[in-house]
Amino acid sequence: MNSMIVNTLPSPTWNWLHMNEQTIEDFPVLEEGAVEIEVPEEVEAEPHEAFTIENVKTGMGEDFLAMVKKTKPDIDFFRVADGVKVEEPLRLDIAYESQVNAVNAAEIIVPAGSHVVCIMNFSSDEKASGNAAMETLYHVAENASLTLIQVTALSDELNFFNDIGGECDERGNFSLIQVVLGGKKTYLGSHTALSGYKSSLNTDLAYLVKGNSGLDVNYIASHTGRKTTCDIHANGVLRDHGQKMFRGTIDFVKGCAGAVGTEVEDVLLMDETVSNQTIPVILCAEEDVEGNHGATIGKLPEELMFYLKSRGMSEEAIYEMMAIARIEAVADKIHDEKTRSLIADRLGRAEEV
Amino acid sequence: MKEKAVVADIDRSMYDFRYDEKDAYKVEEGLTPEIVEQISKEKNDPQWMHDFRLKSLETYNKIQVPQWGPSIEGLDMDHIVTYVRPKDNKMVKDWEDVPTDIKDTFEKLGIPQAERKSLAGVGAQYDSELVYHNVKDEVAAQGVIYTDLESAMHGEYADMIQKHFMKLVPPTDHKFAALHGAVWSGGSFVYVPKGVHVEIPLQSYFRLNAKGAGQFEHTLIIVDEGAYLHFIEGCSAPKYNVANLHAGCVELFVGKNATLRYSTIENWSKNMYNLNTKRARVEEGGKVEWISGSFGSHVSYLYPMSVLAGKDARSEFTGVTFAGAGQNLDTGCKVIHNAPNTSSYVNTRSISKGGGISTFRSSVVVTEKAKGSKSSVSCASLMLDDISRSDTIPAMDIRTDDADIGHEAKIGRISDEVVFYLMSRGMSEEDARALIVSGFADNVSKELPLEYAVEMNNLIRLEMKGSIG
Repeated sequence: MNSMIVNTLPSPTWNWLHMNEQTIEDFPVLEEGAVEIEVPEEVEAEPHEAFTIENVKTGMGEDFLAMVKKTKPDIDFFRVADGVKVEEPLRLDIAYESQVNAVNAAEIIVPAGSHVVCIMNFSSDEKASGNAAMETLYHVAENASLTLIQVTALSDELNFFNDIGGECDERGNFSLIQVVLGGKKTYLGSHTALSGYKSSLNTDLAYLVKGNSGLDVNYIASHTGRKTTCDIHANGVLRDHGQKMFRGTIDFVKGCAGAVGTEVEDVLLMDETVSNQTIPVILCAEEDVEGNHGATIGKLPEELMFYLKSRGMSEEAIYEMMAIARIEAVADKIHDEKTRSLIADRLGRAEEV
Repeated sequence: MKEKAVVADIDRSMYDFRYDEKDAYKVEEGLTPEIVEQISKEKNDPQWMHDFRLKSLETYNKIQVPQWGPSIEGLDMDHIVTYVRPKDNKMVKDWEDVPTDIKDTFEKLGIPQAERKSLAGVGAQYDSELVYHNVKDEVAAQGVIYTDLESAMHGEYADMIQKHFMKLVPPTDHKFAALHGAVWSGGSFVYVPKGVHVEIPLQSYFRLNAKGAGQFEHTLIIVDEGAYLHFIEGCSAPKYNVANLHAGCVELFVGKNATLRYSTIENWSKNMYNLNTKRARVEEGGKVEWISGSFGSHVSYLYPMSVLAGKDARSEFTGVTFAGAGQNLDTGCKVIHNAPNTSSYVNTRSISKGGGISTFRSSVVVTEKAKGSKSSVSCASLMLDDISRSDTIPAMDIRTDDADIGHEAKIGRISDEVVFYLMSRGMSEEDARALIVSGFADNVSKELPLEYAVEMNNLIRLEMKGSIG
């Protein structure tokens, strides 16, 4: 058992807010986890003993990456063929059973001019408990793109640590779609180095945190390349005693002239016992940039409530509908039936898919 | 090809004059129990205050310096003089009785003139002691108390002082609050009785003249039920090549349905570490309005806090920060919603130029008790060149579903198109950029009395002077 610090805010604030980082006490020793992989023929796949990408920063930070490297799981290594737009998704299904302490790791290399979608679905038995971890490193080369879709539908007794780090070269794009629909305490970290001219990042997060569950997020977009763009959207619902901590940082490093970054968070609070913490940060060392962030936190607007009530809906039904709508707004961006059906299942709307 | 505007160092001659300290009484450099005892004796403290100082010193020695803000490595407490006063100092009510050098200082800063024109009362502090305090007869006749804290502590308001002093900002709050508790000196006490509306503002002006010294004034304002007060605070210092320290403390108690507007134009010299703490507690239906202009100092940590303790209590914070060469200004505000239907509104502007660093830092905390509360935070930052820095670090901690919280922030540069348009109408680029920056800071200047808005705009013009296209 070790302790480690994860999801550290790049620029700390007052300690009394308890937002600067998260300390994980008594983190257990993990073992390599099982995974089912479907690989399109344009993608080369082979297990590696270590990551080939070096000197990468990740969202959850050094402690976590060091823990993964120390555990030495086989790295599921994927390299897309040069200049190819892969039609079928690269799919990793990870299902956890009963008591688990597992870690998986993947590395995705997208060479110049190639495009690929990678779908990672994390599910578990209803009674699964323990700790599960995923580390994903990537490199997107010139004029290439990687869309990474991650859906977690885990039991209420399973902690999940999901860490991502990578870099985009000139005009490269990384799109991240994450849907969180369960888990005891879920930690998400993502660090994107936008180092290439006109490279870009799109991030969409949707979450439903309920019961006694928690979600702790640390997204960092580091703009070092000129005319780079990032667009981060987080949309979620907190119910019961759900707790959420969202850290989102847009870092305009000197030299990233012409960069534009936008970050938007929208949180629907559905019970008086929920806890919501948000810290959207913009760090700026470059004059010629445009950074924006906005956050809306609270209940539904009174005008909307009045309208829907006047159409005969109960308050409870309205909130239920709006909560599901928030998740589905992000799910609609996923063009994969299997994944959409997993989300619908979890939302109790399987028959509508 | 675009040409960069070059921004020269500012001309602060208006504030950057000084007088010899040959006639000053001062304690030794550093911070020891003996020095604190000496200050306590100088101040003729009652026993409780004497004990409070020593206890604060113990607290100071236990607390670490903050690890999250600008570096204060250049501040060596072993070389700071914590108490300086003119020899044979006594506080007077007539400017003619103020020693010549000190009177000249305040004349140059325009304080006596402002008092005659537009203020209900003035307190003037020079280094560690107040040298002048006066309140207009008609305001005093309303029962308004405006005096120095030391004499209030020995008079009929002694119990009130003891009840409120450093209760909102306890010495355990942070290292420099503890320092303040140990060595505080000077500052004002204001009490506005129930239902009294003070029509024109009161002002305290703090001038730190001594090299390598600290100023630790304490401002305690109690606005009773249904009353209204506008209080203005100004501060400046000449520039030295060694560090000076300002660690004042402001505690504001806003009663039921009362309103307090607290305006500050801070223009410390650029060798100053400004580690000031300001806090207000607002009761039911009460309102605190903070107007804050931060222009000076080498390093600032400044985050006025509003504790909305009664239902329907409100807070407004309007601020502008201008960080130039050699400055690292970490400013913002904190709001705690701790009662139902409370509301807060934050509107700030930050400007960075010449390598200056400006950080907007805020926190909005809504507790379980604050059902029906609303908060809106808006911050905008302007980068005037590519050697400066501007960061925005707003935090929100919401513990109830029945709240409506909004936040927005923007960061960017002056639009070339707007500068071009103004130049096409006959303005020089320097004037065009100064006009745009003044407009950007308009949220603060329009909230100030005219004389102070003019001073603020002059400060902006000074900062922008030297811009060429």
